[in-house]
Amino acid sequence: MAIQDPIRDGLARGWKVLGGPHGTRPEKLVCDVAIIGSGAGAGITAELLSRAGLQVVIVEEGPLKSSSDFKQIEAQAYPQLYQESAARKTADKAINILQGRCVGGSTTVNWTSSFRTPTATLAYWQDRFGLATYGNDALAPYFQQAEARLSIGPWLVAANENNDLLRRGAARLGIPAASIARNVKGCWNLGSCGMGCPTNAKQSMLVTTIPAALDKGAVLLVETRAQKFVLRDGQVTQLQCLAVKPNSALVDTAQTATTIIAKHYVLAAGAINSPALLLRSQAPDPHGLLGKRTFLHPTVASAAIMEQKVEGWYGAPQTIYSDHFLDTQAIDGPVGYKLEAPPLHPVIFASTVSGYGQQQADLLKQFPHTHVLLALLRDGFHDQSRGGTVSLRGDGSPQLDYPLTDFVMDGARRALLSMAEIQFASGARQVLPVHEMAAPYTSWAQTKQAIAALPMKPLLTKVVSAHVMGGCGLGGTDKLGVTQPDGVHWQISNLSIHDGSLFPTSIGANPQLSIYGVVNRLAQGLAKRLADKEVALAAPAS
Amino acid sequence: MMKRRSLLKLGVASAVVLAVAGGAVASIAPGLTGGKLSAAGRLVFTAVGRGMLDGTLPADDGPKQIALNGLLDRVDALTLGLPPHAQEELSQLLGLLASGLGRRALAGLSPDWTSATVPQLQQALQGMRVASLSLRQQAYHALHDITGSAYFADASVWRQIGYPGPLKI
Repeated sequence: MAIQDPIRDGLARGWKVLGGPHGTRPEKLVCDVAIIGSGAGAGITAELLSRAGLQVVIVEEGPLKSSSDFKQIEAQAYPQLYQESAARKTADKAINILQGRCVGGSTTVNWTSSFRTPTATLAYWQDRFGLATYGNDALAPYFQQAEARLSIGPWLVAANENNDLLRRGAARLGIPAASIARNVKGCWNLGSCGMGCPTNAKQSMLVTTIPAALDKGAVLLVETRAQKFVLRDGQVTQLQCLAVKPNSALVDTAQTATTIIAKHYVLAAGAINSPALLLRSQAPDPHGLLGKRTFLHPTVASAAIMEQKVEGWYGAPQTIYSDHFLDTQAIDGPVGYKLEAPPLHPVIFASTVSGYGQQQADLLKQFPHTHVLLALLRDGFHDQSRGGTVSLRGDGSPQLDYPLTDFVMDGARRALLSMAEIQFASGARQVLPVHEMAAPYTSWAQTKQAIAALPMKPLLTKVVSAHVMGGCGLGGTDKLGVTQPDGVHWQISNLSIHDGSLFPTSIGANPQLSIYGVVNRLAQGLAKRLADKEVALAAPAS
Repeated sequence: MMKRRSLLKLGVASAVVLAVAGGAVASIAPGLTGGKLSAAGRLVFTAVGRGMLDGTLPADDGPKQIALNGLLDRVDALTLGLPPHAQEELSQLLGLLASGLGRRALAGLSPDWTSATVPQLQQALQGMRVASLSLRQQAYHALHDITGSAYFADASVWRQIGYPGPLKI
């Protein structure tokens, strides 16, 4: 049975999609609101503002791809759907960053993990960043609506073996672990979320809010880079956009493809790209905060070989987690970490796991028996964890300089220890901490000793990230952040920022639901201000 | 506000490496042309493939050569998808490695890429991997990640590692 493709159906119904292989962009577009980006924050905003009757234009640098295009093939998905072919790197090349670049943004390629913003994180924001209105209770209704709209709920299918090993290993050590809620509807349990959902089960922005906005007459520009805001007297007067090729190279370096003139602009290009657009626009930054405090949840990995088959490519990825190493220490103390079990596919595994030659061959021969754990370090809650800084290369593209401090890397060492201990407890025959100077070890005692001696340095310790946050942080005063608590830029009155770049620290959990919930409230406020309409993503809980 | 191009940083660091090696900075052929491997780039990746993938590549010369050609084709596909700044940086790195001075200074490899044995190639890779100069480590990671990404991207090698490919839907 052929799977219905809601995007191709929508295009056939006459959605206004321009750029790339779609219609030609006009030289000038006039609208109520221009939204830059089409990911988590942009999608929620587009649906709400369209519902309020506002004429919306959405600008996306990546292509419009949909279930008919999603073939579960890494070599196709990474260049099509990710920033820099899934090989975006920090300035010193020590961290590889996975970030979406397609309609739906990272929500099109993420692994569906859905957590509300942890209470401890919100309390820290209230305390340190003057964000009095960011309390748990105040945000709860907005999370609830987002959960209802995006079918976020408990995953009741049995965890795949890669995840169940985390549950079992942790249980044997008395470490609590729990199930991860997912944003899926009728999930086929294929395990291919990271390559775009081929069955439209994942309730990403691609199949939910963006289609809702397009059905209400929104215009979507694809393969179009928002290059620069023109600013005058504390206002954006226009947005200049350029046409890009599939690899983000400019189609024509001299030609502005489209100029957009809007009453209001919503920047939701994601952390790294949102501050970069403001830097290219020479936006006011009186306190030197723009692009600073960019966080990554720096992530380290441990690869185990089990007696039994694990087949980590099958089944929903990331369905079990443990917050034990976040909850058992102060949020502003030594770096804590969240444990999860990722999907395993050949390209991402072979390029991430350390080693070459016979050692790599031996490891990959056991790929079906391989079990991997990840530890996501909670960065941004300590003086020695101030995150990274976005700057611009000569060609205007953004670069993130993220120093991996000894303070952060101390957390990485403890995380490698915790993961190896859990893996041996779940029956691992061998554990390889993913580090250039580590070898596969066959006992917990041996591994413990080896990890204690590893130099925890960048470029030796393998560090990756799939969560980019901050850079346009919220602050209760203009000295504390780039963005006001209502989402409006502190110095530019007709510009809102509605994405993960708002977060003044990392979240300490996979961030998609934090973006949905926070932006849901901001966008409802914006709809009220611009159109005097009450709109919501879903009916309030009864 | 704009920073100097990051590839210039690589350029300066590379020049330092070359100067330390006692040579003048000669003109260096690009490692990529039109987004794909140039002759210089193919020279480097053929040898790096032999070193990185030893134990994975077929043992016999004929099939090994076919596998290495497949690797080069898939590296081309990968580099074509990279954004311009990453292509430029990689092009410069590969060009440098393909030059005699760059090969000795950056990879620490005396014999040329074609005649180097697998143990010599692996010794060079290991030297870069744990080098104190971050430029050498960065070069190792670029070669490692691209080789792994490209080689294991193809269905022809999945059986060898027990990956059945995507579920039919």
